[in-house]
Amino acid sequence: MSFKSLIQDMRGELGSISRKGFDVRFGYGRSRSQRVVQDTSVPVDAFKQSCWANMPPELLRDVLMRIELSEDTWPSRKNVVSCAGVCRNWREIVKEIVKVPEVSSKLTFPISLKQPGPRGSLVQCYIMRNRSNQTYYLYLGLNQAAASNDDGKFLLAAKRFRRPTCTDYIISLNCDDVSRGSNTYIGKLRSNFLGTKFTVFDAQPTNPGTQVTRTRSSRLLSLKQVSPRIPSGNYPVAHISYELNVLGSRGPRRMQCVMDAIPASAVEPGGTAPTQTELIHSNLENFPSFSFFRSKSIRAESLSSGPASAAQKEGLLVLKNKAPRWHEQLQCWCLNFNGRVTVASVKNFQLVAAPENGPAGPEHENVILQFGKVGKDVFTMDYQYPISAFQAFTICLSSFDTKIACE
Amino acid sequence: MSSSKKSSDGKSSEIEEAVASLTMPFNKILLTSSDGESFEIDEAVARKFQIIAHMIEDDCAGKAIPIDNVTGDILSKIIEYAKKHVVEPDEDEDEEAKKKLDSWDAKFVEKLDLETIFKIILAANYLNFEGLLGFASQTVADYIKDKTPEEVREIFNIENDFTPEEEEAIRKENAWTFNG
Repeated sequence: MSFKSLIQDMRGELGSISRKGFDVRFGYGRSRSQRVVQDTSVPVDAFKQSCWANMPPELLRDVLMRIELSEDTWPSRKNVVSCAGVCRNWREIVKEIVKVPEVSSKLTFPISLKQPGPRGSLVQCYIMRNRSNQTYYLYLGLNQAAASNDDGKFLLAAKRFRRPTCTDYIISLNCDDVSRGSNTYIGKLRSNFLGTKFTVFDAQPTNPGTQVTRTRSSRLLSLKQVSPRIPSGNYPVAHISYELNVLGSRGPRRMQCVMDAIPASAVEPGGTAPTQTELIHSNLENFPSFSFFRSKSIRAESLSSGPASAAQKEGLLVLKNKAPRWHEQLQCWCLNFNGRVTVASVKNFQLVAAPENGPAGPEHENVILQFGKVGKDVFTMDYQYPISAFQAFTICLSSFDTKIACE
Repeated sequence: MSSSKKSSDGKSSEIEEAVASLTMPFNKILLTSSDGESFEIDEAVARKFQIIAHMIEDDCAGKAIPIDNVTGDILSKIIEYAKKHVVEPDEDEDEEAKKKLDSWDAKFVEKLDLETIFKIILAANYLNFEGLLGFASQTVADYIKDKTPEEVREIFNIENDFTPEEEEAIRKENAWTFNG
């Protein structure tokens, strides 16, 4: 047996070990049905002289573009991500070809979950609740029929942690490892004691060089104190509050989301929303400027409980829930969910942008986030520009948690 | 067949050749590969190679054209493909013919190893033979699909030049990508 084929055998062995139990940690985590096929019919030696590595860039680009174009939906979209993992050159080309969700309406890399959704069309997702382990799973819907088949592309997982004075939902890219210490930690949702106010924290800043904030418990993150396992930061990106409406608990509750990271101008014609470009890993060295100042977020927190106009004076985008109409014949509150929500629930909502001042324009009619029940533990979530999948998911989680106007 | 006789007046020989090409639609062109192999093909086939079509338009095409960048084995494959594709059937008008041609294309490429396909891509690019370039590129794209990055590197003999930090990020990315 030649040395070369011995190595090939060993590689095959390691590959199968990694598949059995440690898919996620060992890297590629392919589904069990796929096998690494050492294609022995292909004479590898002949390729030692081949020039694939030196392929003219425009020709390589053409091949990669063809892949990006044809693999436009999941699960085959994984092939695009695969190409980006071959070598630096390929990665650079693929990253340049793949457009952000705002433009392409497609989710490709994990960072897509942190980027604003498409303009003019809703991304259709669904959330599965697992009561036994207090975990919620967000999936991208793959076919027109709503949720609840195993037909989705997994996006994010959220696990609920109850504490004496608040509740935390930890958000992770990994459905099996949802903890603050995990290196797949993306952010969290924290509720106040009463469950009426929530803050969404992002593990990385929207804009590089953003200042670190004091958390509610005034605990400063210090370079010396943080070990590599603790998440790199907590940047508040949204404040959510729930209130009863004038009818008290007999009527639909009022929701307000102050989006710290999105300007109100984002929804106006020609407006833009900030877009993250790379996932930063739990490593403080990556943060170029790291200063400790009292941030805007403390003010934003107090702004979120006040009238929307205060937040809007700061130029922040405020989302409010669309008021349902009372249907006299059906004797219930109704919102038009376009078939995406089928079970009545106080948790169901539609969020629109609140007008800054003056009358509402057409941009304030647009449903930016829609959430609702379709089954016992299944909910649909549809979102679009200017919020991201991550922000949408955390806002929906707050709807699960809040006790306002619950039966 | 046009004669290679030249008249003393250069201009009238041009006219002769022009008239000849008008009246004799089966004009032949000779292509010579880098390793000296010669191929006589119809002008209509040669025109599939834009680089040659331009030469014919500009009247720079003599009867023998050297193709310095392409070896005989590759050139013969390219000509074989070009001959089959002189007339591209319209999918709407002649579905039958399109299907037959697609089937021929599939068999054509099935027999070729990756290295040959690579050379064909380079040659088709040089000759500016868009149809074959697109087809060969699509073949490579189809080959890459459903392979892991490691498999792609193995087959295309590409070195993994990521730093350990980049590898870690890609590992995380792949874990998410291939999950569910």
